[in-house]
Amino acid sequence: MTEHQQAAVAGGRRSAWREIVADFSRDVRTYPFGWSKAMMWIFILSDLFVFGGFLAAYAGARMAATQPWPDRGHVFSLTIGGAEVPLLLIAIMTFILISSSGTVALSVAASHERNRSKTAALLGLTLVLGACFLGMQAYEWTHLIHEGFLPSSNPAGASQFGATFFMITGFHGTHVVIGLIFLARVLLRVLRGYYDRIGTWEQVEVAGLYWHFVDLVWVFIFAFIYLI
Amino acid sequence: MMTMTTVITGIAFVAVHLVLAYFVFRYSGRQKAEHVEDNPRLERTLLLITSLLIAIMLVPGLFAYSQVIAKPSDRLVVEVLGEQWRWNYRFPGEDGIFGRTDVRLITSDNVFGIDPADPTGADDIVIVGGPLYLPVNQPVLLQFRSKDVLHNFWVPEFRVKIDAVPGTVTESWFTPTREGTYQAACAEYCGVAHYVMTSEIHVVDAAEFEQWLAALPTVAQAQE
Amino acid sequence: MATPAAAAHAAHEHHEPQSFWRKYVFSLDHKVIGIQYTVTALAVGAIGLVLSWLMRLQLGFPGAVGAVNPTNYYQFMTYHGLIMVVYLQTAILLGGFGNYLIPLMIGARDMAYPTLNMLSYWTYLLSVILLLAGYFVPGGPSGGSWVLYPPQSITAGTPGSGLGITLLLASIAVFVVSATMGGLNYITTVLQMRTRGMTLMRMPLTVWGVFISAVVALLSFPPLFVAGVMLLFDHLLGTSFFIPTVNVLGTVLPHEGGSPLLFQHLFWFFGHPEVYVVILPAMGIISDVMATHARKPIFGYKAMIVSMAAIGVISFIVWAHHMFASGMNPFFGYIFAATTLVVAIPSAMKTYNWLLTLWKGSIRFTTPMLFTIGFVSTFVIGGLTGLFLGNVAVDLPLHDTYFVVGHFHLVMGVSAILAMFAGIYHWFPKVTGRMMNETLGKIHFFVTFLGAYLVFFPMFLMGFQGIPRRYFSFDLVAFAPSGLDAVNAMVTVAALAVGAAQLVFVANIVWSAVRGREADANPWQANTLEWQTPQIRPGHGNWGPKLPEVYRWPYDYSVPGAARDFIPQNEPEVAVVSPAAGPEPEGAGR
Repeated sequence: MTEHQQAAVAGGRRSAWREIVADFSRDVRTYPFGWSKAMMWIFILSDLFVFGGFLAAYAGARMAATQPWPDRGHVFSLTIGGAEVPLLLIAIMTFILISSSGTVALSVAASHERNRSKTAALLGLTLVLGACFLGMQAYEWTHLIHEGFLPSSNPAGASQFGATFFMITGFHGTHVVIGLIFLARVLLRVLRGYYDRIGTWEQVEVAGLYWHFVDLVWVFIFAFIYLI
Repeated sequence: MMTMTTVITGIAFVAVHLVLAYFVFRYSGRQKAEHVEDNPRLERTLLLITSLLIAIMLVPGLFAYSQVIAKPSDRLVVEVLGEQWRWNYRFPGEDGIFGRTDVRLITSDNVFGIDPADPTGADDIVIVGGPLYLPVNQPVLLQFRSKDVLHNFWVPEFRVKIDAVPGTVTESWFTPTREGTYQAACAEYCGVAHYVMTSEIHVVDAAEFEQWLAALPTVAQAQE
Repeated sequence: MATPAAAAHAAHEHHEPQSFWRKYVFSLDHKVIGIQYTVTALAVGAIGLVLSWLMRLQLGFPGAVGAVNPTNYYQFMTYHGLIMVVYLQTAILLGGFGNYLIPLMIGARDMAYPTLNMLSYWTYLLSVILLLAGYFVPGGPSGGSWVLYPPQSITAGTPGSGLGITLLLASIAVFVVSATMGGLNYITTVLQMRTRGMTLMRMPLTVWGVFISAVVALLSFPPLFVAGVMLLFDHLLGTSFFIPTVNVLGTVLPHEGGSPLLFQHLFWFFGHPEVYVVILPAMGIISDVMATHARKPIFGYKAMIVSMAAIGVISFIVWAHHMFASGMNPFFGYIFAATTLVVAIPSAMKTYNWLLTLWKGSIRFTTPMLFTIGFVSTFVIGGLTGLFLGNVAVDLPLHDTYFVVGHFHLVMGVSAILAMFAGIYHWFPKVTGRMMNETLGKIHFFVTFLGAYLVFFPMFLMGFQGIPRRYFSFDLVAFAPSGLDAVNAMVTVAALAVGAAQLVFVANIVWSAVRGREADANPWQANTLEWQTPQIRPGHGNWGPKLPEVYRWPYDYSVPGAARDFIPQNEPEVAVVSPAAGPEPEGAGR
């Protein structure tokens, strides 16, 4: 019995699989878009494992800690008019970052229409929101450091709290900085009409992908470090 | 287990090499090669045979492992403390309870860091650097601690091996069945003098063991 | 095709770099980068080899080399391990072979993103420099062993626990960045840049091996990066990720509550897939070299791909078999023993398929073919001894003994190195346009192969005796059998002989590159695309004005009725009257 006959006997499910394999393995390009978008997706997958590793290590360090884990509601609170409001700053930061995901998505949509001014304006807005996030994070760090929180120790409990907090939010902040540089470069190129000249606006989408990823990761960091 | 694995893998090793040698000599480039792309039936058969052999090794292996990790009920408990680069031992003494310890209390006179405030520690018996005596045919439960880095208590004849991990207590157990002198060596790289971290173990009859233990000073006696 | 890539390539062809620096040093050409990777990796590998001699001299003839003391012995051990696994094998098999071969084998002009590719090499070089810089700082290089288990690796009882370990960890982090940049390129290039007709199921197995290996690397290096960064924080900032309260050599350190096991989990989540990162490209190279030199299609092409993919997937769920004796929850032993033994099944399938490729073949005993046959042998013994170590009850007595040393050296050390040599001898004519000397090649093979057995086989017997590894001297080991010294001396002599054989290899490379017999365009009569370039040594852009088109899979060797015993992938006319041949891509040529 030849392979083809066997496939016929095995029936529809197997041939559906074959179609998927054939589709995926077709020549020239597996995905119907440029290499840079494919590369960004693959990078995101790899980077996901970096953040996954950090968060898994966070879970491990927290389980192994011998001192009590600090009360985050108290640690991350702002005092407004004498009243302590837990997690206020971080709620605003998260809101800003998620909003910037929205503006970058609109910018990508505008880039599909090749609308130069709209794309640029929305990218610019994303940049401003991202910079706001970074500024607030810098404020949060200095605030905590003033209160005696350091990677090696902190007054609120287990030292692993400060260590993981600074390491993970710092690593995420580095991603935000890189994202801002990336977005700024794309913005300049949009303004100069570079993408019209080379005939593809895909870079806007690639930058958008990265920015969405950075925001998505933040949601997990927010949940693990601040809430749970 | 070891024997069975050795036999199966040994046969596989010889068989594969005989086939390899035969093919290499038989099909050396004199004739034209045959165009054979694959043979799904042959591949399936080989897959099945391999899976079976793997299962034959794995399943009894897992049963053997379940016995390895089943704690003995009637047991002599000894605490082993690894430090760079020697093994120290502690018996719980009359009361059968180890005194509380803290790494911060460790000094050259108190290698285990036994808390003087804990009365159960006073009758503990500490042996610095060995040798350790164990009674024959008596299940032994070793509790491992480390004061600095990872160590691993390895006596080849006892067949068990577990890391001593700072910050936690790990356990292993065995029953020595033959009297004699053995040696523990460190089997987890622990720094520049890893290779000198050995200790003598004597397996003796119960009477001799009791005599040896009774002659050792307790923590309280040693301090006087 | 108005993509940036196409635009960039169009621009490239008109602006071929002319200056020496742009052409040979800061080159964007994948071939130059591949060679840079290969040469750098071989140079570092030579250092790793010399370190192993120094260790072997101490073990075989204790005290004979007075300069070797415990401190530098453990430094040699650490650097030998890291250099061989990471800076030689990973770099040469992915960075060297991957860079050079992927675009040529899939019919592309270059990698997807040549600038990133160049950065990948220079970052790799930086990581090598950081690593070697350890030898020039106060306190010397780290002696923390290649697994770098804390607290040992960053505390005072280990050599180089100051600046040495800092540089080492920095070097590892930089290497991960380099490997990520390279891996992104390999995967994207394979997925998006194949020439017309080159479906995934027509790619040579070398490309498949590098591709799957790059995927595994991209997903397994992140935990190493994480572990390295955290260990660096513990070391420099006084955090307590991995270090509980400890008293090291009389000093209580300012750490509390860390978990040494956490590091081991992160490390081995990288460490085990890393083995496959090295061995998968090796398997691919072996498959292609074997098919070419046995004049026969690789047996079970699809099974080969499926088993490589299966190995890649399973490699992520076996890591804790390195930790059976670590004090983790003993229940994990059951799970990880089971998953580990399952890996043996796809590995065994590959072995059968290699044997069946030789079956009814027409074997040409060229040097690359000899290395290929040697690979099958060492891979088999390395794999079979893995069955001891994966099965938890059998592992416990063997854990951290010389059995382990013998096992991993044969399966990922010697096997991957033999594959690397097979690849170098096979593709040398492509790179230089000259053949390597066969006589020297055969001397190199036989000494290396037989020497490897003499070096590593006795280690299994030592392991059965319980001889622990990482020992500077066995003087105090009472259970060492009386013959141990003689065996160690023999192993040392064999190791030195194997080392000397590598000098023959280096001499052969240098001599052949300058004086070797000039090669034909396709000296091995191979089907794969890299031998079908317009020039013997492909120029910038590889293919001249027109990209090749592919009509068949790469293993049409000895097709009945064909004029020659090979049909290159880009040969359009169907030379054989085949009933299955049709116009659709799947049918043609298969």
